[in-house]
Amino acid sequence: MKRAIGLLGRGGLFAVVALYTAFAAGPFLWVATMSLRTTSEISIDHYALPAKWHWEKFGQAWFNSNYNVYFGNSLIVVVSAVALLTVIGSMAAHCFARYRFRGNRALYFIVFSAIIFPPQITIIALFQILVQYGLYNTLAGLALVYVAVQLPLTVYILETFFARIPGDLFDAARIDGYPEWQIFWKVSLPIALPAIATAVILNTILLWNEFLYAVVLITDESKRTLPLGIQRFMGDQLEDVGMIATGLMIAIVPVVLIYAFFSEKLIQGMTAGAVK
Amino acid sequence: MASLVAPTPPRAASTALRVDRPPWGAIVAFLLPAFTVYVAFTAYPVLRTLWNSVRTVLPRNAEFVGLANYAALARDDLFWRAVQNTFVWACVSPLAEVTIGLLLALALYARIPGRRFFRIAWFTPVLMSYIVVGIIWVWIYNYDWGAANALLRAVGLGAYVQAWIGDPRVALPSLIFVTTWMWTGFNMVVLLAAMHSLPSEVLEAAELDNCGWAAKLWHVVIPLIRPTILNLVVLSFIGKMKIFDLVWITTKGGPLWSTETVSTYLYKRAFEWSTFDLGYPSTIAVVWFVIVLAGVLGLTWLFRTRERLEY
Repeated sequence: MKRAIGLLGRGGLFAVVALYTAFAAGPFLWVATMSLRTTSEISIDHYALPAKWHWEKFGQAWFNSNYNVYFGNSLIVVVSAVALLTVIGSMAAHCFARYRFRGNRALYFIVFSAIIFPPQITIIALFQILVQYGLYNTLAGLALVYVAVQLPLTVYILETFFARIPGDLFDAARIDGYPEWQIFWKVSLPIALPAIATAVILNTILLWNEFLYAVVLITDESKRTLPLGIQRFMGDQLEDVGMIATGLMIAIVPVVLIYAFFSEKLIQGMTAGAVK
Repeated sequence: MASLVAPTPPRAASTALRVDRPPWGAIVAFLLPAFTVYVAFTAYPVLRTLWNSVRTVLPRNAEFVGLANYAALARDDLFWRAVQNTFVWACVSPLAEVTIGLLLALALYARIPGRRFFRIAWFTPVLMSYIVVGIIWVWIYNYDWGAANALLRAVGLGAYVQAWIGDPRVALPSLIFVTTWMWTGFNMVVLLAAMHSLPSEVLEAAELDNCGWAAKLWHVVIPLIRPTILNLVVLSFIGKMKIFDLVWITTKGGPLWSTETVSTYLYKRAFEWSTFDLGYPSTIAVVWFVIVLAGVLGLTWLFRTRERLEY
């Protein structure tokens, strides 16, 4: 009897879990089916599976609706920003974790505290500054702003990891006569590779999805990143549900791919700050 | 930090060797790039926003107006409406996300088969941009064919069918529901990680004491993962105080300012209304910055005092 109740409880639990999974993932599956159906098919029944798989819609979105431009812009901005972030972020993190000097903690706190700044406090002035220096409406300007936005989180993730590397390793390298730069390059970086990978993946996804800075700092059609492109397409073709869904899938696929390969790393990175 | 925890003798000696003379050249070289970016694109913009906030800033010139912007802001009903909406969002969301996330994490903690799959599936919404999520939910909330109304009709609750984001009375709760949908999985995964890092002896001891399931949860698990819970509350609070993208893609603050948040209002004042003045929006930014800061510090302080009271 007790066993039966236990089994029933487990069954109920499983049902709850399955139901929530459908709730969490269902919307994406729905969009995936719509991305392969034409708008006229969708308007007959919004919840049917694709009768014929219209893969050509992806080609149409890519070439005729400018998604190739949006995708390319997003790629340029995100890759350059993440590359720069990784280099200067790990240099700073290495320095904060490794050297004892007056003001170390104060400087670290100055950088780290920016993590809670709401973007509004900088965005108007950033607009003015970029206009002033001719960086407004350029991918380079947006990438530089992205570097500044993600710097606190990057330094935080890497500093925590660098600080756990045993100091003896560095002393050994120093006694062997390695200059400081080489110690960073040959000792710190290789050991910290897992943490760097986490930071890279996390920053890539966060910046790939970024919208507020992009919408303020970019207005040219030819410079739009994916979120901006999707928003514009949605505004122009409100009724073309099928095509919008295809566009959404183009934005989602890279994230899903990264997630498929690095789900553990990503979860680890996003939960790093919250678990003490 | 690490050396404070375990000051082994050889380590201490080598530390002394390092303290000798900090290699200032290397330190400056390592920090310079990061601080250049920080000063140019974070510190200077913050200061410039402060400078803006006491001026009328037009494209060609700026005129000092003292605290006039601040006085105007205090009487700006739209701003206070936006503050109210944002606060409702920032207070309801953490409660909903963390509570549901905790219940789900407990379900998974009971060693349900396929845990890994569920974990990955539940984490997915948080990886999508608010733009993607927003458009999907505009469709789900569509009056004629959206999933929300379709479900209600299917189960015979047709009386509750409504324009979820078109009706000022339900628009804000509808959007709060979207962020809850998005973030609950994240909270669940974090809480699960915290539970798995608990020492198993504690739980086994509770088991031996013939502690009930609910009692075990309330008296053993929750107190032990409290720091994580509080962190999640603060994180969610900060996130909702900043919210912009989701509102912008779904309702643009409408209908009738029922979903206006401080971020959307600031954006409208700075870049949409043709006033061309960047001074007043900067004032909004400064006031909001202070409020967010006070909120975060207040929450941390509150949680810390409660912790002290307990022990």
